[in-house]
Amino acid sequence: MSTEDREVILSIKHVDVTFETGHKKKLRAVKDANFDIYRGETFALVGESGSGKTTLGRAIMRINPCSAGEILFEGKRISGKISREEDKNVVRNIQMIFQDPAASLNERATIEYCISEGLYNFHLYKDEADRIAKVDRALESVGLLPEHKSRYPHEFSGGQRQRVGIARAMIMDPKLIVADEPISALDVSIRAQVLNLMNRLKAERNLTYLFIAHDLSVVRFIADRIAVIHLGEIVEIAESETLFKYPMHPYTVSLLSTVPMPDPLVEKSRKHIVYDPSQLDQSGEEREMRELRPGHFVFCTSSEYAKYEEKMSRMERELG
Amino acid sequence: MEEKILENRDDLFAFAEFDEHESEHIAAPQYSYWKSVWRTFIKNKFTVAVSILLLVLILFALIQPSISGYSPLIAPNINNSEMRFLKPSAEHIFGTDNVGNEVFDVVWAGARNSIIISFVCTGINMILGILIGALWGFSKKMDKWMLEVYNVISNVPFLLLAMILSYVLGAGMGTLIFVMCVTEWIFVAFFIRTQVMIIRDREYNLASKCLGTSTWTMIKNNILPYLISVIMTYVARMIPSLISYEVFLSYMGLGLGVTKASLGRMISIYTSYMSGYPHLFWIPVTVLAVLSISLYIVGQKLADAADPRTHM
Repeated sequence: MSTEDREVILSIKHVDVTFETGHKKKLRAVKDANFDIYRGETFALVGESGSGKTTLGRAIMRINPCSAGEILFEGKRISGKISREEDKNVVRNIQMIFQDPAASLNERATIEYCISEGLYNFHLYKDEADRIAKVDRALESVGLLPEHKSRYPHEFSGGQRQRVGIARAMIMDPKLIVADEPISALDVSIRAQVLNLMNRLKAERNLTYLFIAHDLSVVRFIADRIAVIHLGEIVEIAESETLFKYPMHPYTVSLLSTVPMPDPLVEKSRKHIVYDPSQLDQSGEEREMRELRPGHFVFCTSSEYAKYEEKMSRMERELG
Repeated sequence: MEEKILENRDDLFAFAEFDEHESEHIAAPQYSYWKSVWRTFIKNKFTVAVSILLLVLILFALIQPSISGYSPLIAPNINNSEMRFLKPSAEHIFGTDNVGNEVFDVVWAGARNSIIISFVCTGINMILGILIGALWGFSKKMDKWMLEVYNVISNVPFLLLAMILSYVLGAGMGTLIFVMCVTEWIFVAFFIRTQVMIIRDREYNLASKCLGTSTWTMIKNNILPYLISVIMTYVARMIPSLISYEVFLSYMGLGLGVTKASLGRMISIYTSYMSGYPHLFWIPVTVLAVLSISLYIVGQKLADAADPRTHM
């Protein structure tokens, strides 16, 4: 599927997120982020700790305000001040799955309340019986039992709690889900269960995911397209397989070289590439997103672009 | 022997069906917050004993004065010098005072007023403090000017304010309650504000925000349930301290007027008979101490029981 005939659901345009870290000191956590997310895809945002991936996710959820640029959802601006009607619409259509299932559920509320919270806020039910039926359906859709309604979050395992978090988001019937490292806090044995659940729900409900992660093997499994973010700058965007096959930006190359291999012999003989920003073009020319191949963007200057072009052609010849 | 076991192995084991639903089932009994609070609270024998003592004291103080009909304005034995300064005995449980009244009646009437004032004031202070403090903790705009208000009010000497207000408004129950509430609530509000700020930005509150929950609903369902235990601790400290305040202000002549029985004024009058009739001084002081200490202990134990970390 080419990028042209797909419908853009979320568009991030020149977004900056700035934090004040003291008197007149500012930290630009996200710098000039620019990308589109298409309806029905899983778009992954990867980067190391502190790269600004969560901040960008939270900017979309309007927890962190954008200091520049704008975010469009289905063509309408959702960043900055928006009307009450618009706000309701955005809350209903964009939901979030949080990283730490233990921290993101209200420990003093029953599961029934946790899941109904969105229903209560927008009065999305006809009567009590209808609300309970909706909660039961939501619980069942994530593989939990209706009898869990009267339980408290601390009685559940990590995987079950994360599924409660998913049910809470799903009951709103959203179009876009921002999943902020939804499996990083989970035990390895149940990560696959949650990922499969997310994939199943996506297929059933025609969802779009923005999947924020640092685990590249997970991203390769779940994502259609990947954006690599480094120190607040998005350095490369490409389709998942393309990125793994033809990493262009030096940072992407070094990031991919750190993915652990399950074979100890291979792992031992591997060379980890350390990212060295000094190998980039130091002429002071402004960098921008340039399209190297259709759908494959790299953040570079014109001289770097030429270099990547050459590297790409060479790799295409070698790898076929 | 060994062979026999191997032979029968097929009969001993059978394949079990894997039931995905069964694996999600929670075997632990249903958890109920308030039931667990109650269970933790009554686990300690000492706590139960002190609670019963406190309950008896409070009921006695509330009921006994209406039976005895004591009022500081009525002194039937004032001209009967034989009825004055009697030592405690079977007939006069706590003895009699300088005007021939039963100390027993005087003590409970005074205790009743102290208890009523401290409970009413604690109630008003807590409700005002919690509501304003919760909003204060949430709103950054409100925080800016509320801090200034807090700085001004917290620097006004309490005794000075109490004196001025009781002279202007006249002594009495209403004035005393007003005096003890007019500035006290802001300390509660400040305390709650700090507590709210600690848990305001936790992830489950962000999650509620993403679900479009309003600030009031968040205060009600996400913030206050977490603060039950610290609020209980605050109440446990406030009730006895307000009883002491009432006694202190009455002792200074700023509290209840002469028409109302008061432990504080009693103690201040009886202090002058310390050398000759020490029981007149020690009995009201002991009642006050037992009341304050048992209130404090029960309050603390309730606060501990309200903390779900003690439920396991």
